[in-house]
Amino acid sequence: MNRPQSGDALAEVAAGGNWQQLSARMIYVDLAQSLLSLAPAVLALWILPLEVGPSQIWPLWGLAAWGVLGAGHDAWRWVFTRYRITGSHVEIKTGLIFRQHRSIQRERIRSVDIEAKLRHRIGRLRVVQIGAGQQTSASEAALRLDALSVQDALALQQHLRTIAAVSRTPVAADARSSAAIQRAEKAPEPREVFATFRPGWFIYNMFNIWAFLVAGGLGWGLYWLLSSFGVDANGFILSLLDWESLGVLPTILIAVLALGVFGALGMGVLYFTEFWNFELARVHEKEGTMLRTRRGLFTTVEVNRDERRIRGLTVSEPVLWRWLGICDSNVVTTGLDVYSMKDPTAILPRGPRSTHWPNASKVLGHTPDPFTSELRPHPQSALRRRLAWATGFSAVVGLVLWWLVQAQVIAPATLWVLAGVWPVSLVAAVVAYRALGHGLCGDYLVTRSGLLARATTALQRSSVSTIVVRESLLQRRLGLRTVSVKTAAGYGSYDTPDITAQHALDFARQCAPGILEPFVARAGEPATDPHSTPARRGSAPGSV
Amino acid sequence: MNQPNHPPPAERWELRTPRHPVNRRAVYWWMLQALVFNGGIAAAALTVRLIWPSTAGWSTPALVLALLVLLVALFVEPFWRYRVHRWETSEHAVYARSGWLVREWRAAPLSRAQTIDAIQGPLEQLLGLATLRVTTASSGGAINIVGLDHATAQRTATELTRIAELTEGDAT
Repeated sequence: MNRPQSGDALAEVAAGGNWQQLSARMIYVDLAQSLLSLAPAVLALWILPLEVGPSQIWPLWGLAAWGVLGAGHDAWRWVFTRYRITGSHVEIKTGLIFRQHRSIQRERIRSVDIEAKLRHRIGRLRVVQIGAGQQTSASEAALRLDALSVQDALALQQHLRTIAAVSRTPVAADARSSAAIQRAEKAPEPREVFATFRPGWFIYNMFNIWAFLVAGGLGWGLYWLLSSFGVDANGFILSLLDWESLGVLPTILIAVLALGVFGALGMGVLYFTEFWNFELARVHEKEGTMLRTRRGLFTTVEVNRDERRIRGLTVSEPVLWRWLGICDSNVVTTGLDVYSMKDPTAILPRGPRSTHWPNASKVLGHTPDPFTSELRPHPQSALRRRLAWATGFSAVVGLVLWWLVQAQVIAPATLWVLAGVWPVSLVAAVVAYRALGHGLCGDYLVTRSGLLARATTALQRSSVSTIVVRESLLQRRLGLRTVSVKTAAGYGSYDTPDITAQHALDFARQCAPGILEPFVARAGEPATDPHSTPARRGSAPGSV
Repeated sequence: MNQPNHPPPAERWELRTPRHPVNRRAVYWWMLQALVFNGGIAAAALTVRLIWPSTAGWSTPALVLALLVLLVALFVEPFWRYRVHRWETSEHAVYARSGWLVREWRAAPLSRAQTIDAIQGPLEQLLGLATLRVTTASSGGAINIVGLDHATAQRTATELTRIAELTEGDAT
């Protein structure tokens, strides 16, 4: 079983694609992990003179069992996993009881990403993820090689990428591709760095609704850890203040505030661990350019996005933090999961406007710049529509409350909630209206909307695959329409709500050049088909 | 500043009404759907009302609401939809109008089409109808033309597939 570990992956390919094993260093790392995970229990039981009962020791045993089982599972995986790279496929065989044999055609490989958790980094190991253009929804997991030695991982990445690209060009010959590999290996990658880690940005990452979740998780973990060492966290908190004299509401407020502060601090620390050593760069390779982000203190993540697949970019500004100028930037691309927790489409950590907007422009690299172009405001009837919806919403809330009061489910005083709901929803309507804007800029269409997060999206017009124009009853009364463009990239659908019916058609025609041309007619011209006349009259009853 | 700049009147364009109506039987299809779906909800409300009389406080309004919606879905929506739903195909694109309270015009070029199929649900089979479905690489970009005569849908799907295969491009 003692195979050479630093064997060059490329040499293996040349040898005809032998089955290879993952790095044996995994086993040592697993061994170390098991020992480490046993350590707290041992420490608590035999070394420190602590009085620990069974209820305090079980989390430690749980931790130990989790660590040992995880390591065991890893070792098991190492024994039964084989992979090989042949001229046409990447194949991986896993498992003894649940046998799996998966293969990806090399020409379909879209991404080869490298990541590492802390234990991988200690063992100088890397996880290689091979993605084959999984669609954004219902994606099949990418192939994971967990883990290879650093050299093997890098060589494999380089090799797969170069070949994948070369085989897509019409003149793909083996001799040529191997020459390309060697060149790519020797030449240092020329790259253009857009942004690097900024410690000060932790402030932008602290304020987030997730803070409460983080606080809950941290608090729970800390509580168990302390109690297993015999510290009474509960009693400590109870002794801080005279809770009973405070009453229920102040107690809840203090708890929420404390959780929020604790969570915000946690998020700040998380920012440092997640984005340490961050870099966003455009990497020039033989076959094109990649937009690459790498980040992470303990767990390092590197995402390479093929720029030929990038169709646009979204910059969004969460409304509650508009005063801080917080932005998120995500690329609109095919082959990356927009719903993934890892957020592979995000090109920058949450940060200030002054960095996000210029970088968005630079990444897009299009002149004229879509992100500085003047956007056209939407007609005032769009505001009226939003105000109508806000009022309608408040009316429904009021009706339900009134009914509950009638049924004596809630106290009549609850009706005062309405005094808050209506004005707030009216303000929300105005905010939503002010977010609206759209325009055309060279090859791109630009559209901006959103209440909770004002998102500005620039999308390549050539990427639009379906064009949809929508009109509700209320919109028809107000003379408005919504233009929605559908594309294979990003969220798949980008809406420009509430522009005048006439302008909607002009905009739709320009968003997707050529698609709508056969289906438009000059206003007032008789329809070419006599059958369509009654339907046209019938379909617009009471139109204004 | 918020006043839209209207283009000169000479340049006013509008979306043309698609050429073909859907099959008349589509009206029955929408009615049947309403019977199954909205009828089901009304029946559930009625059951709750009859079995547990103590819930009358909320189950009576719910029942009335469900019946009203059922009536609209049975006798207003199908006829309204029949007047709105229209479609046409050309050598290069598919174009359809659909909806009732919310009208929608959809157009997609055949060069972006990934699959073109005539599909039939159980109710459609009963009525000899079919849906012409044209999907694109965008998950939200499919065009479904419902309520076509089965033979028409089949023929159109075959024809469009033939055309789409001649069109260049990778459809993304």
